Amino acid sequence: MLDLFSFYKDLKNDGIIFCFSGPTSQGIVEGVGEALKQRMQIEETSGKTARNLFSVFVEQMQNVIHYSAEPIVLSENEGEELRYGIVIVGQENDKFYVLSGNYIEKAHGVEIEKKLRAIQKMNKEEMKIYFKEQRRKGPDALSKGAGLGFIETARKASEPIEFAIDQVDETYCFFSIKAVI
Amino acid sequence: MFFQHKGCNLTGEKMEELIIEATKSFPFVHLDPTENTLEIRGESYPENAAKMYAPVFAWLEEYVKGLQDEVVQAELEITYFNSSSSKILMNFFDMLEDAAENGKKIVVNWYYHEDNETALECGEEFQEDMELVEFNLREISDTDD
Repeated sequence: MLDLFSFYKDLKNDGIIFCFSGPTSQGIVEGVGEALKQRMQIEETSGKTARNLFSVFVEQMQNVIHYSAEPIVLSENEGEELRYGIVIVGQENDKFYVLSGNYIEKAHGVEIEKKLRAIQKMNKEEMKIYFKEQRRKGPDALSKGAGLGFIETARKASEPIEFAIDQVDETYCFFSIKAVI
Repeated sequence: MFFQHKGCNLTGEKMEELIIEATKSFPFVHLDPTENTLEIRGESYPENAAKMYAPVFAWLEEYVKGLQDEVVQAELEITYFNSSSSKILMNFFDMLEDAAENGKKIVVNWYYHEDNETALECGEEFQEDMELVEFNLREISDTDD
Protein backbone atom coordinates (compact mmCIF):
# COMPACT_ATOMS: atom_id res chain seq x y z
CA MET A 1 0.00 0.00 0.00
CA LEU A 2 1.13 3.55 -0.76
CA ASP A 3 2.70 5.10 2.32
CA LEU A 4 0.34 8.03 2.43
CA PHE A 5 1.79 9.51 5.59
CA SER A 6 5.29 9.86 4.14
CA PHE A 7 3.80 11.19 0.90
CA TYR A 8 1.90 13.78 2.94
CA LYS A 9 5.02 14.70 4.95
CA ASP A 10 7.06 15.05 1.77
CA LEU A 11 4.52 17.46 0.35
CA LYS A 12 4.53 19.50 3.57
CA ASN A 13 8.32 19.52 3.77
CA ASP A 14 8.53 20.71 0.18
CA GLY A 15 6.30 23.69 1.01
CA ILE A 16 3.42 22.38 -1.05
CA ILE A 17 0.15 23.98 -0.04
CA PHE A 18 -2.08 22.28 -2.51
CA CYS A 19 -1.61 19.35 -4.82
CA PHE A 20 -4.19 18.00 -7.19
CA SER A 21 -3.70 15.15 -9.59
CA GLY A 22 -6.58 13.71 -11.52
CA PRO A 23 -9.47 14.78 -13.74
CA THR A 24 -9.96 18.53 -13.36
CA SER A 25 -13.18 20.44 -13.87
CA GLN A 26 -14.44 23.99 -13.55
CA GLY A 27 -16.06 23.01 -10.23
CA ILE A 28 -12.65 22.10 -8.84
CA VAL A 29 -11.17 25.39 -10.08
CA GLU A 30 -13.89 27.30 -8.22
CA GLY A 31 -13.77 25.22 -5.04
CA VAL A 32 -10.01 25.09 -4.63
CA GLY A 33 -9.70 28.70 -5.80
CA GLU A 34 -12.00 29.71 -2.96
CA ALA A 35 -9.92 27.76 -0.44
CA LEU A 36 -6.73 29.41 -1.70
CA LYS A 37 -8.31 32.85 -1.34
CA GLN A 38 -9.35 32.08 2.23
CA ARG A 39 -5.91 30.81 3.13
CA MET A 40 -4.27 33.93 1.77
CA GLN A 41 -6.75 36.13 3.60
CA ILE A 42 -6.06 34.40 6.92
CA GLU A 43 -2.32 34.68 6.39
CA GLU A 44 -2.70 38.31 5.33
CA THR A 45 -0.94 37.80 2.02
CA SER A 46 -0.72 41.14 0.20
CA GLY A 47 -3.69 41.83 -2.05
CA LYS A 48 -1.59 41.96 -5.18
CA THR A 49 0.20 38.67 -4.48
CA ALA A 50 -3.10 36.97 -3.62
CA ARG A 51 -4.71 38.25 -6.83
CA ASN A 52 -1.75 37.20 -8.97
CA LEU A 53 -1.63 33.75 -7.40
CA PHE A 54 -5.36 33.23 -7.88
CA SER A 55 -5.14 34.40 -11.47
CA VAL A 56 -2.23 32.09 -12.34
CA PHE A 57 -3.94 29.20 -10.56
CA VAL A 58 -7.11 29.69 -12.65
CA GLU A 59 -5.15 29.98 -15.91
CA GLN A 60 -3.13 26.83 -15.19
CA MET A 61 -6.14 24.76 -14.09
CA GLN A 62 -8.17 25.87 -17.10
CA ASN A 63 -5.19 25.16 -19.31
CA VAL A 64 -5.32 21.53 -18.14
CA ILE A 65 -9.11 21.40 -18.65
CA HIS A 66 -8.77 22.76 -22.19
CA TYR A 67 -5.61 21.15 -23.50
CA SER A 68 -4.78 17.95 -21.68
CA ALA A 69 -4.65 15.06 -24.14
CA GLU A 70 -6.25 12.79 -21.52
CA PRO A 71 -9.95 13.59 -21.62
CA ILE A 72 -12.80 11.78 -20.00
CA VAL A 73 -15.72 11.74 -22.36
CA LEU A 74 -18.99 12.60 -20.71
CA SER A 75 -21.55 12.02 -23.41
CA GLU A 76 -24.62 12.84 -21.33
CA ASN A 77 -23.09 16.04 -20.03
CA GLU A 78 -21.93 17.86 -23.13
CA GLY A 79 -19.87 20.97 -22.65
CA GLU A 80 -18.51 20.03 -19.23
CA GLU A 81 -15.19 18.39 -19.93
CA LEU A 82 -12.92 16.58 -17.54
CA ARG A 83 -9.25 16.22 -18.39
CA TYR A 84 -6.41 14.70 -16.44
CA GLY A 85 -3.55 16.77 -15.16
CA ILE A 86 -1.61 17.78 -12.09
CA VAL A 87 -1.56 21.20 -10.45
CA ILE A 88 0.55 22.19 -7.44
CA VAL A 89 0.55 25.41 -5.46
CA GLY A 90 3.53 25.82 -3.18
CA GLN A 91 5.84 28.21 -1.48
CA GLU A 92 9.63 28.40 -1.73
CA ASN A 93 12.00 31.20 -0.76
CA ASP A 94 9.02 33.20 0.52
CA LYS A 95 7.39 33.17 -2.88
CA PHE A 96 4.32 31.31 -4.09
CA TYR A 97 4.50 29.25 -7.22
CA VAL A 98 2.06 27.32 -9.41
CA LEU A 99 3.27 24.21 -11.18
CA SER A 100 1.08 22.26 -13.56
CA GLY A 101 1.44 19.43 -16.01
CA ASN A 102 -0.51 17.31 -18.42
CA TYR A 103 -0.15 15.07 -21.46
CA ILE A 104 -0.28 16.79 -24.83
CA GLU A 105 0.09 15.61 -28.40
CA LYS A 106 3.56 15.98 -29.89
CA ALA A 107 2.53 18.54 -32.51
CA HIS A 108 0.94 20.65 -29.80
CA GLY A 109 4.21 20.45 -27.87
CA VAL A 110 6.09 22.03 -30.76
CA GLU A 111 3.60 24.92 -30.88
CA ILE A 112 3.70 25.47 -27.14
CA GLU A 113 7.48 25.48 -27.08
CA LYS A 114 7.61 28.16 -29.78
CA LYS A 115 5.07 30.28 -27.95
CA LEU A 116 6.72 29.97 -24.54
CA ARG A 117 10.25 30.58 -25.84
CA ALA A 118 9.01 33.83 -27.36
CA ILE A 119 7.29 34.87 -24.11
CA GLN A 120 10.39 34.04 -22.04
CA LYS A 121 12.37 36.64 -23.99
CA MET A 122 9.90 39.45 -23.33
CA ASN A 123 10.05 42.11 -20.66
CA LYS A 124 6.84 43.26 -18.93
CA GLU A 125 6.16 46.06 -21.41
CA GLU A 126 6.61 43.72 -24.39
CA MET A 127 4.32 41.22 -22.68
CA LYS A 128 1.65 43.87 -22.32
CA ILE A 129 1.86 44.78 -26.02
CA TYR A 130 1.79 41.10 -27.03
CA PHE A 131 -1.16 40.43 -24.72
CA LYS A 132 -3.15 43.30 -26.17
CA GLU A 133 -2.32 42.22 -29.73
CA GLN A 134 -3.37 38.64 -29.07
CA ARG A 135 -6.54 39.78 -27.33
CA ARG A 136 -7.60 41.61 -30.48
CA LYS A 137 -6.80 38.62 -32.70
CA GLY A 138 -8.89 35.51 -32.98
CA PRO A 139 -7.47 32.53 -31.09
CA ASP A 140 -5.08 30.29 -33.01
CA ALA A 141 -6.28 26.93 -34.32
CA LEU A 142 -5.27 24.96 -31.25
CA SER A 143 -6.73 27.30 -28.66
CA LYS A 144 -10.07 26.61 -27.07
CA GLY A 145 -10.01 29.60 -24.78
CA ALA A 146 -8.70 32.88 -26.04
CA GLY A 147 -5.12 31.62 -26.43
CA LEU A 148 -4.06 34.13 -23.78
CA GLY A 149 -3.40 31.82 -20.83
CA PHE A 150 0.40 31.62 -21.09
CA ILE A 151 0.94 35.30 -21.63
CA GLU A 152 -1.44 36.12 -18.78
CA THR A 153 0.50 33.72 -16.53
CA ALA A 154 3.82 35.28 -17.56
CA ARG A 155 2.51 38.78 -16.84
CA LYS A 156 1.45 37.84 -13.32
CA ALA A 157 4.71 36.02 -12.54
CA SER A 158 7.61 37.79 -10.85
CA GLU A 159 10.21 35.62 -12.60
CA PRO A 160 10.39 34.26 -16.16
CA ILE A 161 8.18 31.20 -16.52
CA GLU A 162 9.88 27.81 -16.76
CA PHE A 163 8.59 24.85 -18.71
CA ALA A 164 9.56 21.36 -19.77
CA ILE A 165 8.31 19.00 -22.45
CA ASP A 166 9.17 15.34 -21.82
CA GLN A 167 8.82 12.81 -24.60
CA VAL A 168 6.48 9.98 -23.60
CA ASP A 169 6.04 7.92 -26.76
CA GLU A 170 5.42 8.32 -30.50
CA THR A 171 2.25 10.32 -30.00
CA TYR A 172 2.45 12.09 -26.67
CA CYS A 173 4.67 14.19 -24.49
CA PHE A 174 4.23 15.52 -20.98
CA PHE A 175 4.11 19.27 -20.63
CA SER A 176 4.89 21.06 -17.37
CA ILE A 177 5.03 24.75 -16.57
CA LYS A 178 6.03 26.68 -13.48
CA ALA A 179 5.23 30.26 -12.60
CA VAL A 180 6.68 31.98 -9.54
CA ILE A 181 4.45 34.75 -8.20
CA MET B 1 -36.21 37.35 -10.54
CA PHE B 2 -37.09 38.48 -14.03
CA PHE B 3 -38.85 41.73 -14.81
CA GLN B 4 -40.02 42.79 -18.22
CA HIS B 5 -39.72 46.30 -19.54
CA LYS B 6 -40.94 48.02 -22.65
CA GLY B 7 -37.80 49.10 -24.46
CA CYS B 8 -38.39 48.96 -28.18
CA ASN B 9 -36.03 48.41 -31.06
CA LEU B 10 -36.31 50.16 -34.42
CA THR B 11 -38.82 47.74 -35.83
CA GLY B 12 -41.06 48.46 -32.90
CA GLU B 13 -40.70 45.05 -31.33
CA LYS B 14 -40.42 45.03 -27.60
CA MET B 15 -36.95 44.33 -26.38
CA GLU B 16 -36.78 42.71 -23.00
CA GLU B 17 -34.14 43.29 -20.42
CA LEU B 18 -31.58 40.58 -19.84
CA ILE B 19 -30.70 39.51 -16.32
CA ILE B 20 -28.19 36.78 -15.54
CA GLU B 21 -27.67 35.95 -11.89
CA ALA B 22 -24.09 35.70 -10.68
CA THR B 23 -22.34 32.44 -9.93
CA LYS B 24 -18.90 31.92 -8.37
CA SER B 25 -17.23 32.30 -11.74
CA PHE B 26 -19.75 34.45 -13.62
CA PRO B 27 -20.77 38.02 -12.88
CA PHE B 28 -24.22 39.51 -12.38
CA VAL B 29 -25.44 40.88 -15.70
CA HIS B 30 -28.30 43.32 -16.13
CA LEU B 31 -28.86 44.81 -19.57
CA ASP B 32 -31.73 47.26 -19.45
CA PRO B 33 -33.13 48.71 -22.70
CA THR B 34 -35.45 51.11 -20.84
CA GLU B 35 -32.79 52.75 -18.70
CA ASN B 36 -30.13 52.17 -21.38
CA THR B 37 -27.77 50.71 -18.85
CA LEU B 38 -25.48 47.72 -19.30
CA GLU B 39 -24.42 46.46 -15.93
CA ILE B 40 -21.86 43.71 -15.23
CA ARG B 41 -20.61 43.12 -11.69
CA GLY B 42 -18.57 40.39 -10.08
CA GLU B 43 -15.87 37.90 -11.00
CA SER B 44 -15.59 36.31 -14.41
CA TYR B 45 -13.66 33.11 -14.97
CA PRO B 46 -15.98 30.57 -16.58
CA GLU B 47 -14.43 27.63 -18.36
CA ASN B 48 -16.02 28.54 -21.66
CA ALA B 49 -16.34 32.32 -21.72
CA ALA B 50 -17.49 32.54 -25.36
CA LYS B 51 -20.40 30.22 -24.70
CA MET B 52 -21.35 31.81 -21.38
CA TYR B 53 -21.43 35.33 -22.82
CA ALA B 54 -23.23 34.38 -26.02
CA PRO B 55 -26.65 35.61 -24.71
CA VAL B 56 -25.07 38.95 -23.77
CA PHE B 57 -23.72 39.46 -27.28
CA ALA B 58 -26.96 38.33 -28.94
CA TRP B 59 -28.85 40.85 -26.82
CA LEU B 60 -26.36 43.63 -27.41
CA GLU B 61 -26.34 43.16 -31.17
CA GLU B 62 -30.10 43.54 -31.28
CA TYR B 63 -30.05 46.48 -28.88
CA VAL B 64 -27.38 48.44 -30.76
CA LYS B 65 -29.35 48.11 -34.00
CA GLY B 66 -32.32 49.83 -32.43
CA LEU B 67 -30.38 52.67 -30.80
CA GLN B 68 -31.17 56.22 -31.77
CA ASP B 69 -29.94 59.19 -29.79
CA GLU B 70 -30.09 57.72 -26.29
CA VAL B 71 -27.00 57.82 -24.11
CA VAL B 72 -25.91 54.30 -23.21
CA GLN B 73 -24.20 53.80 -19.87
CA ALA B 74 -22.15 50.67 -19.30
CA GLU B 75 -21.52 50.15 -15.60
CA LEU B 76 -18.81 47.58 -15.04
CA GLU B 77 -17.38 46.49 -11.74
CA ILE B 78 -15.42 43.36 -12.48
CA THR B 79 -13.10 42.51 -9.62
CA TYR B 80 -11.33 39.65 -11.37
CA PHE B 81 -11.51 38.09 -14.83
CA ASN B 82 -9.52 35.32 -16.49
CA SER B 83 -7.78 35.67 -19.84
CA SER B 84 -10.63 34.30 -21.93
CA SER B 85 -13.06 36.71 -20.24
CA SER B 86 -10.59 39.46 -21.05
CA LYS B 87 -10.98 38.61 -24.72
CA ILE B 88 -14.77 38.67 -24.31
CA LEU B 89 -14.68 42.07 -22.61
CA MET B 90 -12.54 43.37 -25.46
CA ASN B 91 -15.19 42.17 -27.92
CA PHE B 92 -17.86 43.83 -25.77
CA PHE B 93 -16.00 47.17 -25.83
CA ASP B 94 -15.29 46.82 -29.56
CA MET B 95 -19.00 46.44 -30.16
CA LEU B 96 -19.63 49.62 -28.19
CA GLU B 97 -16.82 51.36 -30.07
CA ASP B 98 -18.47 50.39 -33.38
CA ALA B 99 -21.74 51.84 -32.15
CA ALA B 100 -19.91 55.04 -31.16
CA GLU B 101 -18.41 55.18 -34.65
CA ASN B 102 -21.95 55.13 -35.97
CA GLY B 103 -22.72 58.23 -33.96
CA LYS B 104 -24.14 56.59 -30.82
CA LYS B 105 -23.31 58.11 -27.48
CA ILE B 106 -21.66 55.47 -25.30
CA VAL B 107 -20.24 55.95 -21.81
CA VAL B 108 -18.37 53.20 -19.99
CA ASN B 109 -17.78 53.48 -16.26
CA TRP B 110 -15.15 51.04 -15.08
CA TYR B 111 -15.30 50.72 -11.29
CA TYR B 112 -12.42 49.45 -9.24
CA HIS B 113 -11.86 49.27 -5.52
CA GLU B 114 -9.11 51.51 -4.18
CA ASP B 115 -7.22 48.44 -2.92
CA ASN B 116 -7.46 46.61 -6.23
CA GLU B 117 -4.79 48.11 -8.46
CA THR B 118 -5.05 45.07 -10.73
CA ALA B 119 -8.62 46.06 -11.64
CA LEU B 120 -7.44 49.64 -12.24
CA GLU B 121 -4.62 48.48 -14.54
CA CYS B 122 -7.04 46.24 -16.46
CA GLY B 123 -9.40 49.19 -16.86
CA GLU B 124 -6.54 51.34 -18.14
CA GLU B 125 -5.60 48.72 -20.71
CA PHE B 126 -9.14 48.72 -22.09
CA GLN B 127 -9.33 52.51 -21.94
CA GLU B 128 -6.17 52.77 -24.09
CA ASP B 129 -7.93 50.84 -26.86
CA MET B 130 -11.06 52.99 -26.94
CA GLU B 131 -11.31 56.08 -29.08
CA LEU B 132 -14.90 57.26 -29.37
CA VAL B 133 -16.39 55.56 -26.35
CA GLU B 134 -16.12 57.72 -23.25
CA PHE B 135 -14.28 55.37 -20.89
CA ASN B 136 -14.12 56.51 -17.26
CA LEU B 137 -12.12 54.88 -14.48
CA ARG B 138 -14.00 55.27 -11.22
CA GLU B 139 -12.48 54.46 -7.86
CA ILE B 140 -14.63 53.00 -5.10
CA SER B 141 -13.36 53.56 -1.59
CA ASP B 142 -14.63 51.87 1.55
CA THR B 143 -16.06 55.14 2.80
CA ASP B 144 -18.29 55.43 -0.29
CA ASP B 145 -20.92 53.07 1.03
